[in-house]
Amino acid sequence: MMSFVLRRLGQMAFTVIVASFLIFAVSEWTPGSAARKMLGPYALPEQVESLSRELGLDRPVLVRYVEWAGNVLQGDLGYSTLYKQPVAPVFADRLKNTAMLAAIAFAIIVPVSILFGIMAGMREGSLFDRGISVAAILCTSLPEFALGAFLSSIFVIWLGILPGTSTLQDSGGWSVASQLVLPVAVMVLYDAGYVIRMVRASMIEVMLAPYIRTAILKGMSFRQVITRHALRNALIAPFTVILLQINYLITGVVVVEAVFAYPGFGRMMLDAALNKDVALIEAGALVAVGIAVTTQVAGDIGYMLLNPRIRIA
Amino acid sequence: MADRESSIHPYIPKLVDQYERRRVDRREFLRTSTLLGLSAATAYGIVGRIDGSRFVPQARAQETPKKGGILRISIRVPDLSTPPTFSWVYDSISVRQCNDYLTRTGVDNITVPWLLEKWQASEDLKTWTLSLRKDIKWSNGQPLVADHVIWNLNHWLDPNTGSSVLGLFKGFLVEDRDTGTTDADGNPVMATGFWDANAIEKKDDFTIVLNGKSPQMAVPENLFHYPAAILWPEDNGKWGVGSPGTGAFDPEVIEVGKRVVFKPRADYWGDGPYLDELHFIDHGDDPSAQVAALASRQADGMYEASVTQYEVLKQMPHLELYQGVSAQTAVARVHPNKPFDDARVRKALRLAVDTEKLLQLAHLNIGAPGEHHHVAPVHPEYADIGLMKQDIEGAKKLLADAGYPDGIEAEISCKQDPAWELIAVQAMTEMWKQAGINVKINVMPSAAYWDNWTKVPFGFTAWTHRPLGVMVLGLAYRSGVPWNESHWSNPKFDELLSKAEGILDVEDRRQAMVPIEELMNEEGPAVIPLWRGMFTFWDKKVGGFQQHPTSYIFAEQLWVKEA
Repeated sequence: MMSFVLRRLGQMAFTVIVASFLIFAVSEWTPGSAARKMLGPYALPEQVESLSRELGLDRPVLVRYVEWAGNVLQGDLGYSTLYKQPVAPVFADRLKNTAMLAAIAFAIIVPVSILFGIMAGMREGSLFDRGISVAAILCTSLPEFALGAFLSSIFVIWLGILPGTSTLQDSGGWSVASQLVLPVAVMVLYDAGYVIRMVRASMIEVMLAPYIRTAILKGMSFRQVITRHALRNALIAPFTVILLQINYLITGVVVVEAVFAYPGFGRMMLDAALNKDVALIEAGALVAVGIAVTTQVAGDIGYMLLNPRIRIA
Repeated sequence: MADRESSIHPYIPKLVDQYERRRVDRREFLRTSTLLGLSAATAYGIVGRIDGSRFVPQARAQETPKKGGILRISIRVPDLSTPPTFSWVYDSISVRQCNDYLTRTGVDNITVPWLLEKWQASEDLKTWTLSLRKDIKWSNGQPLVADHVIWNLNHWLDPNTGSSVLGLFKGFLVEDRDTGTTDADGNPVMATGFWDANAIEKKDDFTIVLNGKSPQMAVPENLFHYPAAILWPEDNGKWGVGSPGTGAFDPEVIEVGKRVVFKPRADYWGDGPYLDELHFIDHGDDPSAQVAALASRQADGMYEASVTQYEVLKQMPHLELYQGVSAQTAVARVHPNKPFDDARVRKALRLAVDTEKLLQLAHLNIGAPGEHHHVAPVHPEYADIGLMKQDIEGAKKLLADAGYPDGIEAEISCKQDPAWELIAVQAMTEMWKQAGINVKINVMPSAAYWDNWTKVPFGFTAWTHRPLGVMVLGLAYRSGVPWNESHWSNPKFDELLSKAEGILDVEDRRQAMVPIEELMNEEGPAVIPLWRGMFTFWDKKVGGFQQHPTSYIFAEQLWVKEA
């Protein structure tokens, strides 16, 4: 058990190192220099050059990477060329906003998808199952920006009962809570459809298992069969899938945040990428990779605890 | 008063005479007379005396502004800490609510004294005397004096600051000098410095004299260049919450990427402000977020609407469309390399396009069809030599004459935003195709384009509005200047331009523009599809807003009609 966790942590560290170097390299080779982006179109070439020198951008990419990595190990995330202040405070603030959005969405997605997934899966092919499946596929196949525009045009422009942007400032008489409704709705619709289908598939598989048939044959009520025998087994596989959603909810919500002007992590990363703010991109990538690997390890460990076969093997 | 009368610029009486006889229009009269040092009050006063119009020229005179209320404006909030190095117009819009400029170019494209009471130009336009208003106090209680302004001038013109103001004063107050040393490649090292130790001269606490090396007509306009806000010297070029200003508002909260909150100053020296609070809110780059913010009244106005937002915003009954003419445009220009080294080929590029249709296709017909000489109808010295009409056959013939009977192949580089630029390029390539000019489009990310904008052999470059036509021509087409992106070098053009730049009489200058404009149409390096009409949408409850050619927002004029 211990060695398993240690091995995963080692892999995690390796992934972070590779990812952080790749990001450095990619931003090195994409067109346009950070200095030009800071100075704008009307700066003279000499001004761009002198700023590049000042920022140390004229040194080889490897040198800059090693220096940056050393600083990070000492707890210094660097200086944001976009926000002109240290990365850590900008970053913490944005991450906090996104974590809040993710927590609310997660708190809705998990119970809703388990409930609908189980209900659909326990009677495969029923009208209810068909209805849920169609709705779930429809929601996941719509891209987030389309879902966002669709909901906005109904609730903001047509009905006028929800605010169109979520800046988290009390503005125009819209409370912060009302501003969270649309972004959360888009994330839930987009994501729950997928999780519902996973839970449903797992439930269907369990319902076909011999022990379920035995339970039914020995005269247990359908309700008892579901709660005592099917539920727990049906949740083993989706458990990992559900944990992986945390990943998407925190680091994958760029589109939702941009559409609703939400001051979160995704929008910050978008701006950082467009402006080649390497320190900020790197810090964001570290967190993103960190979250990805952590949820994966947590998923594996959880899976192990839930499934005795893996634990014993 | 006697000495003031005697120091009036000798051209002014002639100008008044011209205006009385309607040889110049009102706009032109105001522009030139204030340029030559009449105070705005006097200039508008003469206009009032002659044709009975009111002193206050703005339309806001129609309704009396009401005090109170909060306004929220949707605009990007970038880092605002170093105004002298601002690179985008919208950077400056926050700072300008708190720190004034020496002059102001109004929505009517006329530049008037602002922190200045007046300016006076010598007859040869080399010496400019700037007189400060004496009633202005910083928000920390200190009076504004010449030393403060001189500190700012020196700061902009210090090459280490990196301010683009420097470029505007090159040749006038500062110049490049050979330091006598050479760099590793053997090129002489140049240093930028004042051409004369006395270039900026303090006469007294409220009077500054600029002693220029060469004539400069556009000093007042240049003093309104967006990085040229007057800052409190002890802040050393930095700006933020707590920075003293002379403006109508104080910054209270600044959160980069999120918002700025301004509080009005009770003791502002000018008219206004009328608001209780002013908020700038950053909705990001997604155009639909701005639309949504206006729809749900989370924003009461926005900085520059884009063509992609126009249709949906026009449908909203609570919004009002504001439009303004401008000389903003983008220029498809070529380097003089084969096949574009031949003037006939360059003219064929122009003949093949239909500018009226381009305005329709790329800019919703808001603005004016382009004219390829880069002097716009909004410029005072614009000479109307007629639109160049599309003539596909003529273009083909020119190509054949130049030795390309089978047409030519080329590639144009352009950026992907703002959206209208790419649409315009696509429309032009379709038109060129008809004349046998097959142009491939290379779309670049904006930052990458700006890295190379003067280097790409064939590119489509945005040029912002400038108050005078000669300013644009001098920046973009004079031989060897840094922003001459087309590498066009024509001694005849340079000579004609220098001549025009030295003519104060607008009638005469307009005459002098005719050969310049004709030369640009015949031989020039540029195809100009359209003049952009700048437009935006604001809530109908907002009073006092007008669309500025450069999209500046003057929030001290804004007020809320109902609470």
